[in-house]
Amino acid sequence: MTQFVLAVVLGTLFALGTFLVLRRDVVRVVWGVVIVTQAANVYLVTMGGLSGVAPIVPGHGEAVTATAVTDPLVQALVLTAIVISLGTTAFALVLTYRIYEEHGTIDLFELGRRDEGDGGNEGGTEDFARSVADGGERCTADDSENETRTTSENESGRSEASVGG
Amino acid sequence: MYPGTPFDAPLSALLASLSSVGDALAIPLAATGTGAGTTAATSAPEAAVVLALVALPFLGAALTPFVYRLLGERTAYFAASVALACLALVAMLYGSEGLIEIPWIPALGVSLAFYVDGLSLLISFLASGVGVLILAYSGGYMHDEPGKTRYYATLLAFMGSMLGVALAADLVALFVFWELTSVSSFLLIGHYRETDSGRYAARKSLLITVAGGLFMLVAFLLLNTVSARALGEPTFLLIGAPDSLIANTDAVRTTLRETGLFVPVLALIGVGAAAKSAQVPLHIWLPNAMEAPTPVSAFLHSATMVKAGVYLVGRFRPLLVGEEWTLAFAVLGLLTMTVTAMLAVGATDIKELLAYSTASHLGLIIAGFAFASVLGAETGAFHILNHALFKAALFLVAGIVSHEAGTRVISELGGLRRDLPVTAAITAVAALSMAGLPPFNGFYSKELLFETTYEAAHAAGGLWWVFPVVAVFGSVFTFLYSIRFLWLFVGEKPDSLGEVHSPPLVMLVPPAVLALLVVAVSAVPQFFVDNLVGSVVASAVPGEAHGFEVYIPTELSPPVLMSVITIAAGIALSPVYDRLHDGVRYLSSVRSISPNWYYDAGIEVFQSIVSTGLVARAQNGLLRTYAVWVLAAVSALALGGYVAGGVSLPTFSGTSLSLPIIIVLGVAVVGAVAVAVAPSHIAGVLTLSILGFMVALFYLLASAPDLALTQLTVETLVLVVFLLVLDRLPTFYGKISTVRAARDAVLAGVVGITVFTTVLVSTAATPEEPIYTFFVERAPLPDGGGGGNVVNVILVDFRAFDTMGEISVVAMAALSVMTLIAMRERGETQ
Repeated sequence: MTQFVLAVVLGTLFALGTFLVLRRDVVRVVWGVVIVTQAANVYLVTMGGLSGVAPIVPGHGEAVTATAVTDPLVQALVLTAIVISLGTTAFALVLTYRIYEEHGTIDLFELGRRDEGDGGNEGGTEDFARSVADGGERCTADDSENETRTTSENESGRSEASVGG
Repeated sequence: MYPGTPFDAPLSALLASLSSVGDALAIPLAATGTGAGTTAATSAPEAAVVLALVALPFLGAALTPFVYRLLGERTAYFAASVALACLALVAMLYGSEGLIEIPWIPALGVSLAFYVDGLSLLISFLASGVGVLILAYSGGYMHDEPGKTRYYATLLAFMGSMLGVALAADLVALFVFWELTSVSSFLLIGHYRETDSGRYAARKSLLITVAGGLFMLVAFLLLNTVSARALGEPTFLLIGAPDSLIANTDAVRTTLRETGLFVPVLALIGVGAAAKSAQVPLHIWLPNAMEAPTPVSAFLHSATMVKAGVYLVGRFRPLLVGEEWTLAFAVLGLLTMTVTAMLAVGATDIKELLAYSTASHLGLIIAGFAFASVLGAETGAFHILNHALFKAALFLVAGIVSHEAGTRVISELGGLRRDLPVTAAITAVAALSMAGLPPFNGFYSKELLFETTYEAAHAAGGLWWVFPVVAVFGSVFTFLYSIRFLWLFVGEKPDSLGEVHSPPLVMLVPPAVLALLVVAVSAVPQFFVDNLVGSVVASAVPGEAHGFEVYIPTELSPPVLMSVITIAAGIALSPVYDRLHDGVRYLSSVRSISPNWYYDAGIEVFQSIVSTGLVARAQNGLLRTYAVWVLAAVSALALGGYVAGGVSLPTFSGTSLSLPIIIVLGVAVVGAVAVAVAPSHIAGVLTLSILGFMVALFYLLASAPDLALTQLTVETLVLVVFLLVLDRLPTFYGKISTVRAARDAVLAGVVGITVFTTVLVSTAATPEEPIYTFFVERAPLPDGGGGGNVVNVILVDFRAFDTMGEISVVAMAALSVMTLIAMRERGETQ
């Protein structure tokens, strides 16, 4: 059975997910991936046909005919996928947190530029970590946006200075 | 079978070998030694012996790192003994002929097929025999050099690949081994990784030889397509079976002509062979390849690997020989022979001289195979052997000279005979053979070439007379540089040259063995022709008599006159060698006729414009760039596939969905839109949860209670994780510029349309027999799973390993999270 409604819904969800993946804010990129994952799962279930009752059959030890129930195979696949998506989402979020700790920003554009400008990520990271340690303070989560930006800029300025020295 | 084709005789042997393959394969490889000694004339080869022959070097290469730990410097002798074992296996195969086939990719008709005959045995003899000498010599030469494990392992792997090239009867297998030789050559040329010249040379050889191999691959695929028309079904088998290409030469050739593919196939194979065998103008990688340690140059770049192209020409000769063949390869071969002989005169370094000389002699072999007469094949076949012997010896001499005298510059060397008397004797034999002086073996094969070109010109007349003239012209230069090389040992020793030590015995014996072989072939050429070379000719010229005769001429025939002219002109021009040298150097410095200049300019364009531009556009470190390329490419491929496949969209036929499902999906979309336009992280996460819970409701309504339960749990957990992490992140959200948003919206739209189309097309199809009925029917049974909930039974019973994989992923994610959060103060940041 051709699923027009689901085609429209899934197309829209994928489009929205794609749009979010292209943003410069890492958190939004994670959202985009989550939306695409959800849509992919729904698509898999849709491929099962969306007809019939839940695949729970009566009678232990008795053979049954398979016509009445909906496709259990796609459900097993999606169940696995949901659990794995929990793992990957959690990992992506913690990675985001760590990126912020290391680089002082979650702006992908700035991260990409820094990668280029410093001629290598490692050196920049080390210098940055050292300068954080020297400063003796860590940007805390309660900082407002402006403060965080300023601190981060100061620190990257310092890190450049330490490279120069 | 066609009457009159050469395969009538060995056919019975061949069929016997086919039927025995199955039995022989059952024999474990360890038992190969016991099966020896059964070789009779033209018996079928034993499958176990052939397989062991190809596998042994690779096995040796794999073991080299462990052996090196035990033996250290003496790994050379381990490697040499592996080569010796291979040589013994080749000797066991001597005299046999036939096919050994193991299925590899049956669906595509690709098999791992090996064919043993005269040509493959000669190349195998060279690969393993010269291999023994080279590996032993390396023990002395590579003393105190870096990277010995890598060196010996790669050399052994190369030897295995070369044996594979020689024996492969299947075109795909041939291609794989062919490229393996290119890769090992790349590694060996770049042995001194730190030097710029080493890296340049390695890259150059890889680019040229591998690119040439790709041309050859296209030819193979074309032949495969053509064989489908000519033989009824496509085959990759080149030789050795009734349904192989060469066994059906006439049919294949007719079809090639009908489809107009004869010349393209010929040209593509020609490019492959020319790139590998350093034919003009693709010869430029060979002189640079001299960056490799000298044993490598002697082994790969004179005796074996560069012979692969020549081998290819010899192998395809029965299939493609004709007017176009003669014209293409005679021009290619004689042009190379002459041009590179002149370049050799212009060389300033002894290895450079030998490199150009190698290209020149390969040209001679190619030219020999070019001519349709039997004489041509005899020339090529005999010179493969002769060249390998004297050139490998000369390279090893060059290694001794550079090792002991400390320089390879020709003008700084001279009078070495006093310090290196044995080496001088070896050089005298090898260099005079290279010059083509009677009674050395080089004379016989050169005489055959003269005779071939003369006969061809005599028969065809007209412009064909150019061939003998060019052959003589090129040979004069060959004579000149051969004598120049010999002159390193005579005359006065320059004062600048310091003390020259005697080489260690291990470096002296291998070239001496080669020189003795040169003497042996020179003394009794007919013996070697009858026992080794004759059968090679049979491989290249089907249906002709095997044996041919070589002797020192006693009367003045035209070819003899050509030899006399060559030697006389060579002697006459010797006094002006230096002027010729300068002249060639001047000519080769002219940019517009220098292939090197074109190569360097091309590489420069690629490096500075193409790759820089490509990296800036595709690999610039921004996540969105990568995402754009991947998403756009996938969408374009999917949509393009639908268009190419002529998929039509189903017409709108209403919906069977119930109202609750439609409402739930509508709310989900609204939630997703809200995520996309969320003004803050918190708002986004909460609306993302709306989407997640709506999906859970959808699962419930779609009769998937297990999914709904899992989704609810996971969604709750994700919400908690998000809130916990967001608490520690800055409230950053980049401003979106309108232009960028519009561009992203276009891509998002394309992805959306791709998904929309895919869902429509895929849901419109209804499979005849769904797979799931198997699970539903078996799940409640005691031996199937014994549970009523089919999804659970699938997860924990039918597909339990998948579930274990899923749990491992979650465990790995948990460990990574732990590492990232808890171990921040350890590791690289300290």
